[in-house]
Amino acid sequence: MRLGKIIDNTRCIGCHACSTACKSENEVPLGVDRTRVKYVEAGVFPNVRRHFQVTRCNQCDHPPCVYICPVTAMYQRPDRLVEFDQDACIGCRACIAACPYDAIYIDPESHSAAKCHFCAHRIELDLQPACVVVCPEEAIIVGDLDDPASVIARRLAREGAQVRKPELGTSPKLYYIGGSHATLRPEAAARPDADIFMWAAQRPDETVGRGAGNVASTLRAYDTPHVVPWGTDVALYMWTKSVSAGALLVASVGALFDRFTGSTIATTWAPLIALVFLAITGLLLIVDLEHPARFLRILTRPQWKSWLVRGAVILSAFGALIILWLVPLVAGPQLAPPSVYRLIALLAVPVSAAAAAYTAFLLAQATGRELWATPLAAPHLIVQALLAGSGALLMAATALNAPGSVCSPADLAWLRIMFLMCLAVHAAFLAAEVFMPHRSTHVARAVSTILSGKYSREFWIAAVLVGIALPIALIAVSGAAVAWAFAAALALIGLYAWEYVWVFAGQAVPLS
Amino acid sequence: MSDTRQFVRPGTGSNATYPPVEQWDDWVEYDSKSWPRRVEKRYMLVPTLCFNCEAACGLMAYVDKETLEVRKFEGNPVHPGSRGRNCAKGPATLNQITAPDRILHPMQRAGARGEGRWERVSWDAALDDIAARIRRALQEKRHNEVMYHVGRPGEDGYMPRILQAWGIDGHNSHTNVCSAAARTGYAFWMGDDRPSPDYANAKCILLISAHLETGHYFNPHAQRIMEGKQRGAKLIVFDVRLSNTASVADYWVTPWPGSEAAILLAIAKILLDTGRIDREFVSTWVNWQDYLRALRPGVPVTFDAFVDALRDEYATFTPEFAEAESLVPAETIRQLAEEVARAGSSLSTHIWRSAAAGNEGGWQIARATFLLNVLTGSVGSVGGVSPNVFHKITPAPFAKPPAQNVWNELTWPEDYPLAHHEMSFAMPHLMRERGHKLDVYFTRVYNPVWTNPDGFTWIEMLRDEAMVACHVALTPTWSETAWWADYVLPMGHGSERHDNQSQETHAGTWVGFRQPVLRVARERLGLPVEDTRTANPGEVWEEGEFWIELSWRIDPDGSLGIRKFFESPYRPGEKVSIEEYYRWMFENSVPGLPERAAEEGLNPLAYMKKYGVFEVRRNVYEAMQHERPLPESDSAQVDDANIVRDASGRAIGVAAGGRRLVGFPTPTRKLEIYSATLAEWGWPEHATPGYVRSHVHHSVLARDRGEFALVPTFRLPVMIHTRSNNAKWLVEIAHTNPLWLNPIDAERLGLATGDLAKVSTDIGHFVLKTWVTEGIRPGVVACSHHMGRWRRDNVSEQTPGTDKWASVLVKIDEGADGTRRVRKLSRVGPFASTDPDSGRVWWGESGVHQNLTFPIHPDPVSGQHCWHQRVRVERAGDLPEGEVFVDLKRAQAVATEWLAKARPATGELRRPLWLHRPYKPTAAAYRRDKNAAG
Repeated sequence: MRLGKIIDNTRCIGCHACSTACKSENEVPLGVDRTRVKYVEAGVFPNVRRHFQVTRCNQCDHPPCVYICPVTAMYQRPDRLVEFDQDACIGCRACIAACPYDAIYIDPESHSAAKCHFCAHRIELDLQPACVVVCPEEAIIVGDLDDPASVIARRLAREGAQVRKPELGTSPKLYYIGGSHATLRPEAAARPDADIFMWAAQRPDETVGRGAGNVASTLRAYDTPHVVPWGTDVALYMWTKSVSAGALLVASVGALFDRFTGSTIATTWAPLIALVFLAITGLLLIVDLEHPARFLRILTRPQWKSWLVRGAVILSAFGALIILWLVPLVAGPQLAPPSVYRLIALLAVPVSAAAAAYTAFLLAQATGRELWATPLAAPHLIVQALLAGSGALLMAATALNAPGSVCSPADLAWLRIMFLMCLAVHAAFLAAEVFMPHRSTHVARAVSTILSGKYSREFWIAAVLVGIALPIALIAVSGAAVAWAFAAALALIGLYAWEYVWVFAGQAVPLS
Repeated sequence: MSDTRQFVRPGTGSNATYPPVEQWDDWVEYDSKSWPRRVEKRYMLVPTLCFNCEAACGLMAYVDKETLEVRKFEGNPVHPGSRGRNCAKGPATLNQITAPDRILHPMQRAGARGEGRWERVSWDAALDDIAARIRRALQEKRHNEVMYHVGRPGEDGYMPRILQAWGIDGHNSHTNVCSAAARTGYAFWMGDDRPSPDYANAKCILLISAHLETGHYFNPHAQRIMEGKQRGAKLIVFDVRLSNTASVADYWVTPWPGSEAAILLAIAKILLDTGRIDREFVSTWVNWQDYLRALRPGVPVTFDAFVDALRDEYATFTPEFAEAESLVPAETIRQLAEEVARAGSSLSTHIWRSAAAGNEGGWQIARATFLLNVLTGSVGSVGGVSPNVFHKITPAPFAKPPAQNVWNELTWPEDYPLAHHEMSFAMPHLMRERGHKLDVYFTRVYNPVWTNPDGFTWIEMLRDEAMVACHVALTPTWSETAWWADYVLPMGHGSERHDNQSQETHAGTWVGFRQPVLRVARERLGLPVEDTRTANPGEVWEEGEFWIELSWRIDPDGSLGIRKFFESPYRPGEKVSIEEYYRWMFENSVPGLPERAAEEGLNPLAYMKKYGVFEVRRNVYEAMQHERPLPESDSAQVDDANIVRDASGRAIGVAAGGRRLVGFPTPTRKLEIYSATLAEWGWPEHATPGYVRSHVHHSVLARDRGEFALVPTFRLPVMIHTRSNNAKWLVEIAHTNPLWLNPIDAERLGLATGDLAKVSTDIGHFVLKTWVTEGIRPGVVACSHHMGRWRRDNVSEQTPGTDKWASVLVKIDEGADGTRRVRKLSRVGPFASTDPDSGRVWWGESGVHQNLTFPIHPDPVSGQHCWHQRVRVERAGDLPEGEVFVDLKRAQAVATEWLAKARPATGELRRPLWLHRPYKPTAAAYRRDKNAAG
């Protein structure tokens, strides 16, 4: 059995009965909704139409929210309904980031993710969902897609139906008969550049729906706001993780190339930096949760497809390697010949690279945020980590009065070359991300927020000018150690700016 | 789709919509909040009727058996009108009964009237005081000083019985700010003043309304309009702004406001010119002989001569003329005529407020609309339009009191002998000019200060204790009007009261039973119930019991002749209970109900308590009503127009097809294309359906000086005037009313969406945000009337003034020169209450109260307030959002100007005897030489 739903737009009159019936049945608080009716006006007087679209969870056959959920709080029932468990949810909001349809919210009472679940509690009693019962026009039809005799299967077979964003491969089971491009495609209609809709306030919305598109002929006349689930915490976590993974990665790559044999910068300071920044990373991850106390569930009830879980495992392994790296130091110098570090480095290189790179897989798992699904992301994150790591070590070396026992002149030179190379490659990746032809209008719009829109200042000034151009200029002007350290600091600022831009621009395009 | 909804059949898959009837007493569902943990909740299902509009849709209350609280409202699957489905307002009833701000106890004003200080009072004390006043007024023959002013009745037949038992002509309504014009148009055609279209079976549906989102009767009608459309009917919608209804129409027609009749008559002309009229129907059922005799003396009285004369009358209504008037292309009008002609006798039309309520002469738009039905023979037909009385049933209660022998000159002034109905919105002006006063003034579900035009003049009347000695507000919620009451008495919402209600939702009849669901639940559980207050929250009561109790106290000893109407038909001499009232009605006045109940082993009352509704008849068309045979009579004669007349010469029926039939309740028993009444009562130029240029016609506007026609009447699909008060889920969806402006005009005025515009009327101005949209005709602006609720600044926690979800605090400056200025002091925002949701209010908008700036515009014939305004629109400059300014002297001047348009009765009677009038007094009271007060 595969339960699906038809919204019949040839019958829908945009009355919002489904909206209030849902609020009533599911006791949904003010400020959030499981179903809403989007209005879009298209055309020029007198050839105008207001299109209605009941907008809600698409009950994907391949649900990104389920795949990304670390703790099976989002899960698929045997009848293929996508269900959620508020008691299990840790509140990481990954499902909200993953959903391409703007269908999930954090409930202000349970602090857990929630959404339309087809009134599964009614379905089990052979009762139809509350919205189906209330609809004056019988415009919502629920049934078994696998049963060729069901009304839904028969109608889908005979009548054209659309789904939202089929190209994302989610296989939605919410079908629109008589759907309109103006409402199906989020980019088709801009929001008015004001604080109102036709009869309601327009809530502050962090997406960039305003001003885009042909406002005169296609206008979003009523909608609810688009939630941006991930904020500065996530950008900061990516940055601290970059520093942490990078510090150990640089040290272990150096070890493989017989570097740092006489420098404590690699044996002592690199793992310490990695440890401190890993701790901050972990703290950020936990603090960012709606249910911080449920953090351990990532490990106690893991959902292995989730890159949050895989990432947690990778970070744990990475943490273990940092400790391993520190063991010889604690145990005594006699136990720490370069060969030991080379041996550990064989493990540390891939694990710290994985620690740096796994976020690319996590972000790509956020199906709705198409910007993030770039194949360049993983190598770019590794390069960013190397840049952050070498930069951090350069700063540490300068602070600790290198050259000397902390960092030999040769090691310092090696670090500087590493830093410069990574800066150049990072710049190349950046250019590739924003200037390569874009895979979709969604990506194009996200990138336009970077190049010329909402995040252009952060990008051009902080990420490019401060993070790339100024460090190179500084080094070109002066070869002094302080100049290198200062350049490294600027590059680290630029890296954070880039994470920030990447996280926010990825979420800037309206999904519904 | 289907007529009946599916009930649960366990084990058959999720196809069912409702719990099976057998389990309504004990129904188990899983708690949605605990899910996916399976926590079982036990409910008792109690049916009632929604009270958020007049459609009387079925609601099913899910009463939690553990807490005895209503958990939710769903639809009532056995209700023939709503068929188990609801609009957004049905489920939101839950918000209203649980609203933290609702009034739970009777309140009496503590300080001066309007000061905003209140104290609790017992029901007993309030009843005794009010009863004593009314008793004294009746004893002193001051019958007209007692008035009951109702917004929407929500019941059938209860109040006439009360007021007529008191012997007063004290009913007042909201009709003239609403449907008076449409009623007048329909009444002069067919006697009955309301249409009942059979949308589901129509081939063409012509709406001068927004029935897919609002109106009478939104949910039941929207179901059937779309049903008809799915079956292939063409949907034509006249509306100058893009309603949701217009959005899904096959033809969105955008006449300049008030020009609709020009288009309709052009369509009629095309039908006549091309011979596509139903000759048999028209020749049988239309009083064409009268038409010829009155307007074409000397012409032979033949049907062909009539058709020629009619063609001649409408010869000037070419599509090109209609285009010049309406700005709708002539080609479109020709297409519409084709659609109408193609539909033949399956043409469903409907006009109720909209254009009729907006424009001077709007009643002629209704008349022109129905002309199309008459010409196509789509009256009483399948897919056509019936008089509403075909599809509505008002069961008689026990012991009907006689008609009152009194005429109320305040509500029925002789200047407006044809008005439909009471001149309610002009009341403050009439009170002042003509020296009326009221001893006891009940307002019920009625908020004239906010709803009516010229609200500040209402305040002037309400604050004056010499004019209104005692104002009793019967209301579930605070309102701008209740603020000026002496008593605020809390009455229940739809799930907290008894009413019987029937509406013409489709071609069938049903009687619905509104009931206090918690009282019913208590009774089913065997818990004691004294009266409805036992089960309702706080001391909230219901009018049904209140009026019995009040009437009893007015005449405790029976000396006034009132008490006998309140004695139980089952327990002689004792006070009737509300249950006995309905028991008698259901046992004696609802055809078929006792038999149906018996089939289930129930008595009629028990049946209604269980199901909440009874379907009396299905598929009711003409055979049921105007084609009913007349009783045999020897004295009756048939005249040369085939009218059956009794011995006195009075028309009693129509002879058709060899039978004598009852016909329509008009003076000729026919559909009247020529109204002798209109001719005789001062309006010979309007004796036939015609076109009246509106007071906002484009020719009277100086568009180059920023003048526009303002359409201030449209509703929003989730709102229902002030009745959707306290419904947080509805307010969350819609909470502001910006000014709709076409981009062409917006550019001209330098206004963009969100910018503040100043809109000036004849008596003041208001300031609001702009909504630039292609969904409105250039030259016309529109503003929904729903928003802009306010509460006074000197409000206390105890008396919130009105709904905090939607209203803001205001400061009102009263100038000595009669000016009034309203300024907002706050925005809507989170507030502390027992409902955690009140802390989550995220919107700040509340819209603007535009009606304050409208002078009264009584239509001289229908008495309808003509809502549309000629306004000037400009950028607001420094004026703040929400500002309202009014000059009461200007308001008075404009009122005088419009009141002078009336043509008073000059004959013996105050009003034609045949014309419908609610609470009809005795014939003697109609006589102008009779003292008004009896």
